[in-house]
Amino acid sequence: MEVSVIGSSQAKILKTGLACREPGLLSFKNGNDVFWRKSKVSFGQSSGLRNSGVRLTLKAVQTEAIEPQKISRPQSRGGVRLYVGLPLDVVSNSNVVNHARAIAVGLKALKLLGVEGVELPIWWGVVEKEAMGKYDWSGYLAVVEMVHKVGLKLHVSLCFHGSKHAKIPLPEWVRKIGEHNPSIFFTDHTGQQYKECLSLAVDEVPVLEGKTPVQVYNDFCESFKLSFSSFIGSTINGISMGLGPDGDLRYPSHQGISRRSKVPGVGEFQCYDKSMLALLKEHGETTGNPLWALGGPHDAPAYDASPSSNGFFKDHGGSWESPYGDFFLSWYSSLLVRHADRLLSLASSAFGDSEVAISGKVPLVHQWYKTRSHPAELTAGFYNTQNRDGYEAIAKMFARHSCKMILPGMDLTDEGRLQEGLSSPELLLGQILSACKKHGVEVSGENSSDTVACGGFEQIRKHLLAEDAAHSFFYQRMGAYFFSPEHFPLFTQFVRSMKQPQMHTDDLPIVEEEAEEPMAVTSESGIQMQTA
Amino acid sequence: MSSAFSTEPLLHHGFREISRSRFRSRTPTPPPPASLSCAPKPSFRHARRSCGFGPRRGGALRARASSSGAAVVEAFESTDVLFKEAFPLRRNETVEGKIFVRFDQGKDEQNWHLTVGCTLAGKWILHWGISHVGDVGSEWDQPPAEMRPPGSISIKDYAIETPLQKSSTTMDGDEFYEVNISIQSNTNIAAINFVLKDEESGSWYQHRGRDFKVPLMDSLQDDSNIVGAKRGFDLLPGALGQLSNILLKGEASDYKDKKASSDLEVSKQGVQCLQGFYEELPIVKEVSVHNSVNVSVKICPETAKTLVYLETDLPGDVTVHWGVCRDDSKMWEVPAAPYPPETKIFKNKALRTLLQPRGREKGFWGLFALDEEFVGFLFVLKLKEDVWLNCMGEDFYIPVSSIRSSSLLGQKESNSMETSGKTAETNTEVSSTAYTDGIINEIRNLVSDISSEKNRKAKTKEAQESILQEIEKLAAEAYSIFRSALPTFSEEAVLEPEVLKPPKIFSGTGTGFEILCQGFNWESHKPGRWYNELKEKASQLASLGFTVVWLPPPTDSVSPEGYMPTDLYNLNSRYGTIDELKDLVKKFHEVNIRVLGDVVLNHRCAQHKNQNGIWNIFGGRLNWDDRAVVADDPHFQGRGNKSSGDNFHAAPNIDHSQDFVRKDLKEWLCWLRSEIGYDGWRLDFVRGFWGGYVKDYLDATEPSFAVGEYWDSLSYTYGEMDHNQDAHRQRIVDWINATNGTAAAFDVTTKGVLHAALERCEYWRLSDQKGKPPGVVGWWPSRAVTFVENHDTGSTQGHWRFPSGKEIQGYAYILTHPGTPAVFYDHIFSHYQSEIASLISLRNRNKIHCRSTIKITKAERDVYAAIVDEKVAMKIGPGYYEPQSEPQKWSLVLEGRDYKVWEAS
Repeated sequence: MEVSVIGSSQAKILKTGLACREPGLLSFKNGNDVFWRKSKVSFGQSSGLRNSGVRLTLKAVQTEAIEPQKISRPQSRGGVRLYVGLPLDVVSNSNVVNHARAIAVGLKALKLLGVEGVELPIWWGVVEKEAMGKYDWSGYLAVVEMVHKVGLKLHVSLCFHGSKHAKIPLPEWVRKIGEHNPSIFFTDHTGQQYKECLSLAVDEVPVLEGKTPVQVYNDFCESFKLSFSSFIGSTINGISMGLGPDGDLRYPSHQGISRRSKVPGVGEFQCYDKSMLALLKEHGETTGNPLWALGGPHDAPAYDASPSSNGFFKDHGGSWESPYGDFFLSWYSSLLVRHADRLLSLASSAFGDSEVAISGKVPLVHQWYKTRSHPAELTAGFYNTQNRDGYEAIAKMFARHSCKMILPGMDLTDEGRLQEGLSSPELLLGQILSACKKHGVEVSGENSSDTVACGGFEQIRKHLLAEDAAHSFFYQRMGAYFFSPEHFPLFTQFVRSMKQPQMHTDDLPIVEEEAEEPMAVTSESGIQMQTA
Repeated sequence: MSSAFSTEPLLHHGFREISRSRFRSRTPTPPPPASLSCAPKPSFRHARRSCGFGPRRGGALRARASSSGAAVVEAFESTDVLFKEAFPLRRNETVEGKIFVRFDQGKDEQNWHLTVGCTLAGKWILHWGISHVGDVGSEWDQPPAEMRPPGSISIKDYAIETPLQKSSTTMDGDEFYEVNISIQSNTNIAAINFVLKDEESGSWYQHRGRDFKVPLMDSLQDDSNIVGAKRGFDLLPGALGQLSNILLKGEASDYKDKKASSDLEVSKQGVQCLQGFYEELPIVKEVSVHNSVNVSVKICPETAKTLVYLETDLPGDVTVHWGVCRDDSKMWEVPAAPYPPETKIFKNKALRTLLQPRGREKGFWGLFALDEEFVGFLFVLKLKEDVWLNCMGEDFYIPVSSIRSSSLLGQKESNSMETSGKTAETNTEVSSTAYTDGIINEIRNLVSDISSEKNRKAKTKEAQESILQEIEKLAAEAYSIFRSALPTFSEEAVLEPEVLKPPKIFSGTGTGFEILCQGFNWESHKPGRWYNELKEKASQLASLGFTVVWLPPPTDSVSPEGYMPTDLYNLNSRYGTIDELKDLVKKFHEVNIRVLGDVVLNHRCAQHKNQNGIWNIFGGRLNWDDRAVVADDPHFQGRGNKSSGDNFHAAPNIDHSQDFVRKDLKEWLCWLRSEIGYDGWRLDFVRGFWGGYVKDYLDATEPSFAVGEYWDSLSYTYGEMDHNQDAHRQRIVDWINATNGTAAAFDVTTKGVLHAALERCEYWRLSDQKGKPPGVVGWWPSRAVTFVENHDTGSTQGHWRFPSGKEIQGYAYILTHPGTPAVFYDHIFSHYQSEIASLISLRNRNKIHCRSTIKITKAERDVYAAIVDEKVAMKIGPGYYEPQSEPQKWSLVLEGRDYKVWEAS
């Protein structure tokens, strides 16, 4: 089948071969080769990609039904593997594929572009919607089947959280339990609950019909593994474990921050549900400070407030620097690390025997990074201040489980940030990256804003082309804007520019050898007509 | 050809053009192409250094030195080539071939072979499945594993795809492709169903819009599949001895005759009595053919004229339709003589030059000498039979002046890179080079099967282009679906395709001369015998000049008018029985009127309740469940996807995004086409679902005419209708666009504007800001079905009645204007009949069609006047108007209350 296609296009091949050589020759002769190489719009020469990923694109045009065996394994020697996130609601609440046709053509377009794969969010609230242990994978199986057919890779994100944005809540039965037992949710000091994910304090408490959330997550993973066994390790080559709100490893300290406020506030500590308070009390008793363990810091500002509006986060003389502050913050952040530890160990034992990479996502809480206390990070659970590196422990823990770390915010720049220049996504990213490097944790990048514009792509490129940069990138996410005329051409350009930054010199001199051949083109085009 | 340098800018153009046209409806200015080629580029003048004709070219030129243009040619040869570019040309050609099906016995009586083959080259795939004895409905099943030839792939759970292999032998000297299926006759397989798919073009080959069907048992005749057996592919069991016979004849007519007789035969045959047969069917496939045209530019050293040399490898006579322009506006102009030999002036707008054959080589050439003052050389190529070739939808444009200036520049400053940037045109031309080069590098990755270093270097530009196009196309499609969920509409009009575009026959849009009759009103169901009543009027309608009739919805329905369908395959309705309907259609066909079926695809009434007591389970042959119902109408608790359009709240809305729904609907529509004989469709409430699905249905049913009802409200401000109804017509045009132009739409905008103009005596409304008709007909006349009234707006419902007493002015407007006019039944059989008849006959007499040109000559408070095709003048309104007697002389032919029509004499 293939041969016929290629055979019939031989003539054309010759023609273009020349097309590409000639200018090279010209500029070379003029002594402009340096210029030429620089101006090269540069895609192409990745030895890895040349032989693997992209080769399939032609096939993809021709036929959908390629047998999986023929699809070569991705070998990413150098180069960044790019994944595009599928819409959050690609499988609807009622377990059908939304916009199936758009997804299908979208996948094809991505395949043709040479993208490595797609990212598929799989929601707890969709699969195990009605009752514990009652899984319905049908919608997702259909999507995986589609992706498989097109010959793209798939990275699956297991979402143990809900999303207001995508209108996908937690499973019905979990929400029902939550009505009777509100302490399974994170709670702030006013008693406001965050109902989009379970509190990490109940990880090992049998609150779900006699099972602990960790057990339920584990069963979910096992069922997933069973249902997708034929794809895991082939089409599915990566799984990320949902670690908290929006899948991120963090406390929902931002739950009360209004989107309108110009200057994002510091957020609030989420340690007021019963289980958290019990853990705090226990911690106080074991460390001999029972009086410090009655609640969170009394002088922490409100969600939208600035750090200096109350005593805790003050740059100078703030309680965060006091022994009490250290007592509280080390406890608060250690719970988060332990939570991630539990889930990642669960994932690596569940999927350890298959050829998939496990990842977890660490958010980029860059607001107020340039203050001494880093309040937004503290409330989110990262004990990272002027005096202390909070990401080392996390990177170490990721390394222990050989998990990859997904880092969002690669599209963000320091410029144009509000907050009087006190936020710094770039510096924070640098800090986390160096922690990862130190502990040998592989990093995958992600963009934060839904609408990446020109500058955003530039920033992503910068990150990805840097030394020791991310090996893969998750581009979020497919949808109307993604394919829109204002965005898609930029994305196309980005993908191509990522393919290869430089032209190989060995492409240039070959030019002259075949200079006589062009005439063959005309004569062969006649043949072409007959065969076409 | 020695410099393929030149091919690159083209790709760049191509890409730019694509992005513009794909996304045209959204952004007035396309995303800057610069985003794709971002670096400064080497100077254009390199071309001059290394280009020049290769030795073979030179030889070819000398060989024809005796031709009349010899002197110029020599001049041409002696000069430096300043510009050289090879433009790819792509066109479609049809090739004919045949599909053959052979059924014969294997090594014993239990063993049979079915062979399906095709004589055309292609990546043929047999998409097939089986039916079992006693199967109800038309679903396929997968055959047992032992029947599947090697290389077969399962498609879901109902079909198998098996590629055809190139046969080692030949048939009548031609190569062919075939696939073999072995069958055990003692299984309970009743029939093998298949279609043939060409993976290269993505086309499906069916048999008269139905699956091919090879019956293995007679019992088929007895069960529900009788439809299939009768109308499906009637492969005729016949003695093997006949084989040679058929082979010799192998013609369609022959085949038809045979079919009739063998139907009888079949019924006589017993179950066990399998017989071999052989059958051939002609097929036609469109293949795209690639050629190129090479353009080189030089300056004649003696005359300082610009010499443009064209050369192409197109076969047959090639005419260059060309002109020149003085500025960037690319306005065509005819230069002064002398012209090359074989040149004619075409309508004072362009020149037509027949290219000279290239002597011993294939192909043609032409040489054009232009005066210095012209900025650009414009052309399109014309092959015979009105086949036009252009440059990605636009005229070819060779910017000769910038070439000249860059060459001068180049002479002055020979080595500085900076200077080349000064000539903008040159710069863009070349910047694309690097861009293309980059793509070429990328494309290298594409075809790794050619592993040698040399081949790897050489990649096809066409392949790149088609991949780029494919990506763009896919992205645009994905975008339109995703976007359809959002309430945004585009701003820009879609203009009528330019005249020089290759004429393309769209299915579903008729000949352009249609005049529609809506053959019923809201009361027509009452007598219970409408089909019979209308049948008596068929001849009269034909003599009035109608060419198309729109019949009421034929299906069983909850409401007697038919718009709440239940069982789609039950065509016994309040209008009559299925047989009466067939009879009526036959009658209309006899009097040369085509028939549109009114099909309700948006919604369907359920016959059963689900477990919650909601009516969303369907009955009849298409016994869908709630997965076929859209999810976003809480009344019906559908389990499908969200609706791709507006909801109609009285009945469950069908989820067209479901594959099984579309498959069933296509099958149903095909069945209506073949069983009833409908020629096309009137599509009810198309606002309810995405136009792309309509395209899918129309592609499957290939109607000769189709029109959709996209009816929403016009724009009003403080209760008064806005003069500018662009947003309203844009929505209709968007829908037509979504169908890919395969369907027309009722011009609700025109009706609305006529209402306001006639009722309030505001005839100025009938011209939009650009002096064109204000409705859809002003923007996309060939897709606008203009009407004055229908069963909803008028009749006994009167939802939006035309100003009373002014209907005939409305008809004077729509029956003289472009677009396809539709006349309402109630008006035909009223006192307006004679006036309407005169208007129709005037339209036919003057051959006014849907694309006729219109010039609005007056649009004032109390009078509107226009001249159509320079042949017909009309006015409506009480005010005074007489057409100018220059240049035509006009004679008044029709006159009535507040309207007049003149014909040029």
